[in-house]
Amino acid sequence: MSEILKIEEVLEKEGKYVGPTVGVSMLPMLKNRRDTIVVRPKTEKLKALDVALYKRGDAYVLHRVLKPTETGYIIRGDNCYSDEIVPEEAVFGVLTEFFRKDVHYYCTDKKYLRYAKRRVKTYKLRRFYLRAKGFVFRVGGKVLRALGLRKKKTNGEKQA
Amino acid sequence: MKIKKGFILRNVGGECVVVPVGEMSKSFHGMINLNETGSFLWNFFTAEHTADEAVAALLGEYDVAEELARADVERFMETLTKNGFAE
Repeated sequence: MSEILKIEEVLEKEGKYVGPTVGVSMLPMLKNRRDTIVVRPKTEKLKALDVALYKRGDAYVLHRVLKPTETGYIIRGDNCYSDEIVPEEAVFGVLTEFFRKDVHYYCTDKKYLRYAKRRVKTYKLRRFYLRAKGFVFRVGGKVLRALGLRKKKTNGEKQA
Repeated sequence: MKIKKGFILRNVGGECVVVPVGEMSKSFHGMINLNETGSFLWNFFTAEHTADEAVAALLGEYDVAEELARADVERFMETLTKNGFAE
């Protein structure tokens, strides 16, 4: 019980890793420190929509495969807005199941696969919405400050 | 004895695994594999109970000798205490 292993060692020893999710990059599917992931060792080349576990430096990352390439994968988190090129050798696990709140999902479920497809398909629309929202806030803020309806930020406020 | 909040028991492919959630996942990085008796006792100790109550519950659930049940409960409680899982 006191043996401390890295995730890749747990995968090799136990054949699976079950643990909490950390971070927001796979929202809305996986919520930080609430949900549980079940990862199994990668045994074959991953496909589009698979969720890969890989290492970026010392950090473990669990993101979705958009496209397999000859040397690896193009990968992006469901809640991220930039792609990442990940070499084949960096990927060592694949998400096979997860618990969202207390509901158990398998990554082969039709309902889940529909969600995954929809999340990838609507990426451009979500990115456009995010940029448009940022633009409206920036321009709106400037207009409100110009009209004197919002105070200009002081240096102290900017630092805070 | 009672198990601290911040752990959740998951059934994965018929195997019971305990994982930390919430704040607990910041301080505890690991997974705990439990056998059938272990998962029964884990569920039992999510509420405050004594060793005698756990032995009685185990005897009610499984066809097992009292001595063996008591040994299992004591070992389980010792493991919980040693690893800081108990309140």
